[in-house]
Amino acid sequence: MAKVVVKDLHKSYGDNEVLKGLNLEVQDNEVVCMIGPSGSGKSTFLRCLNDLEVPTKGQIVISGYDLSDKGTNINLVRENIGMVFQHFNLFPHLTVLQNITLAPIQLKKASKEAAEKTARDLLDTVGLGDKADAMPKSLSGGQKQRVAIARALAMNPKIMLFDEPTSALDPEMVGDVLDVMKDLAAKGMTMIVVTHEMGFAKEVADRVVFMADGLIQETGKPEDVFDHPQSPRLQDFLNKVINV
Amino acid sequence: MKKWQIAVVMLLAAFGSWFGLNTQAQAKTYTIATDTTFAPFEFQAKGGTYKGIDIDILKAIAKKEHINYKLKAISFGAAVQQLSANQVDGVIAGMNITPERKQTFDFSNAYYTSGVVMAVAKGSKIKNFSQLKGKTVALKTGTAGATYAKSIQSKYGFKIKYFNDSNNMYNDVKVGNSAACFEDYPVMSYGIKNGIALKIVSKQYEAGDYGFAVKKGKNAVLLKKFNKGLKAIKADGQYKKIVDKYLHSSESSLTGETASSRTFIGLFTQNLSTIGSGLWMTLELTIISIILATIMGLILGVLGVMPGKLGPAISSTIIYIFRGMPLMVLAFFIYIGFPDLIGHGFKIPAFVAGMITLMLNEGAYTGAFVKGGFQAVDDGQMEAARSLGLPYWTAMRKVIMPQGIRIMIPSFINQFIITLKDTSILSVIGIVELTQTGTLIIARNFEGFKIWLMIAIIYLIIITLLTWLSNWVQRRIN
Repeated sequence: MAKVVVKDLHKSYGDNEVLKGLNLEVQDNEVVCMIGPSGSGKSTFLRCLNDLEVPTKGQIVISGYDLSDKGTNINLVRENIGMVFQHFNLFPHLTVLQNITLAPIQLKKASKEAAEKTARDLLDTVGLGDKADAMPKSLSGGQKQRVAIARALAMNPKIMLFDEPTSALDPEMVGDVLDVMKDLAAKGMTMIVVTHEMGFAKEVADRVVFMADGLIQETGKPEDVFDHPQSPRLQDFLNKVINV
Repeated sequence: MKKWQIAVVMLLAAFGSWFGLNTQAQAKTYTIATDTTFAPFEFQAKGGTYKGIDIDILKAIAKKEHINYKLKAISFGAAVQQLSANQVDGVIAGMNITPERKQTFDFSNAYYTSGVVMAVAKGSKIKNFSQLKGKTVALKTGTAGATYAKSIQSKYGFKIKYFNDSNNMYNDVKVGNSAACFEDYPVMSYGIKNGIALKIVSKQYEAGDYGFAVKKGKNAVLLKKFNKGLKAIKADGQYKKIVDKYLHSSESSLTGETASSRTFIGLFTQNLSTIGSGLWMTLELTIISIILATIMGLILGVLGVMPGKLGPAISSTIIYIFRGMPLMVLAFFIYIGFPDLIGHGFKIPAFVAGMITLMLNEGAYTGAFVKGGFQAVDDGQMEAARSLGLPYWTAMRKVIMPQGIRIMIPSFINQFIITLKDTSILSVIGIVELTQTGTLIIARNFEGFKIWLMIAIIYLIIITLLTWLSNWVQRRIN
């Protein structure tokens, strides 16, 4: 069974319908990149997947848990879904190490020692082994985002959601973060990435989903989507993005 | 003894004296309220004890009739309100026996007859009522003077300004804000003899009788004893002696103060123990209230940002009510209104009432900025914490609160200072804190400027210390 199953997903804010009936399945170990113009509903869709936004209508099943079922313990589901935000959202009052160990220790996933050991290993993986005791405000944007990825990974999630992880970064920082994400993809992590990095999508994605006006307009392998776009909307979007 | 042993002993001693007071109360001790500033009927003498015609008559009668009583000096208005709310057993405070008051109180036989006079500033040209037209007249609430002036107001066309306390009324006339005041003759003449720069310009009007009051239908035994005792002290000459002593002597011989003690330093050392106990009361109230208000504020703040509608609704309602109500109204409501509502002789000690008042009022303000502080934490923080699988309360406690509280520190310091200053308002329910101490001292020596300066300096010193302490804490936390 697919890891993520989304059926007829709708989301409205008052009269404004942001998602107008989405259907999507994501398989185990699959990397899906979602592209599309601003305001198309990509981020809202992603935030629905871990219940930060509650859908108006439709069904979301993640690893067998139905999010719309009142009996589902959302905290338990979230432990299995790592989320990385555009603005990092590190906890400014905690050190880098404490940022990473907070959830595992609070949720009794590991002893303090074990959690710190894991955290240091993760920091090594993202190339920040020397920053364990630094405060977030002393880090650059790229470093913050890599800490945020390590923090999400510390819960040992089955799926990672990335919400425009490089949009708030200076251009020279983007590469480091994308490298970490590529490694993660190579290790077989199931990933859904909302991004404007077409190069990354082309290189890493198993599948690219193009969204516009609250609907999935087109979906396919990167080479199909980027080289042979079918719909005029996608052709128009790619023209604008690539010819900048 | 080690430090903790001393602490235990002191705690036991404190409990002991508290129990001691309680057992005393069971042996039928009456609480008799009196005014604080109505010399020569009642005023505070050096060292904080009360003296005056009322006080001495009560003492003499109590001795004759074996009445156990505890004197409670509060403002006249508060004394009358507390009597009607059954918070005290009787009031002796130069209180005129009037038909209106007889509706709510039972009075003893008259123990003194006094008339109302008009007094003006020393240099004033006003000699009669008709010159008052268009001018302002100062009155003290609830007095015979006030009743009389009100009755002739429309005839002579003057404006009225009310005061709670004689000294403020005198001063208002002295500095020229009001053209004249109306006061009971013995009180006015005593004040003038003791340095108030006013002069009496009228004869005595509307002679009225002073009586000892109990709540209607209550304490009949006490009233009977009072009447009997009054008769006895009139018969044996004690009564005349008391009245002569106060009406024909100067203030300093009664209060034990000398002219040399009228310098700033002299006044300070003279009144050190009185000021000290007032200061202690202020500090006690401030510290306890700050702790309680902070706890209440944190709870209100957390409720205010809770998901769902119920928590925020409760929080904003409580904040709305207690932030919107003037502190003085709240104090009166809790101290006098609330026991009145419950009935059955229910009483709240003034200190407890004061504490609850401050807790509710300052707690509401604290709640408002705590809520604001939590809301000021970026939404992304909660989202990040929740998306890691942390439950709401863990996220609140570990992520939102530590950040929010840092934002709130300056507001907390501000609120602590406000709380300290707000304790002064509790003097209205008879708590003798620093400000009330000042009122009491001035009531007997009329040294308004020096004493208020002294009190102001003391407040500034404590606020400075509090600010230093807060800054130190702030540095530690950051």
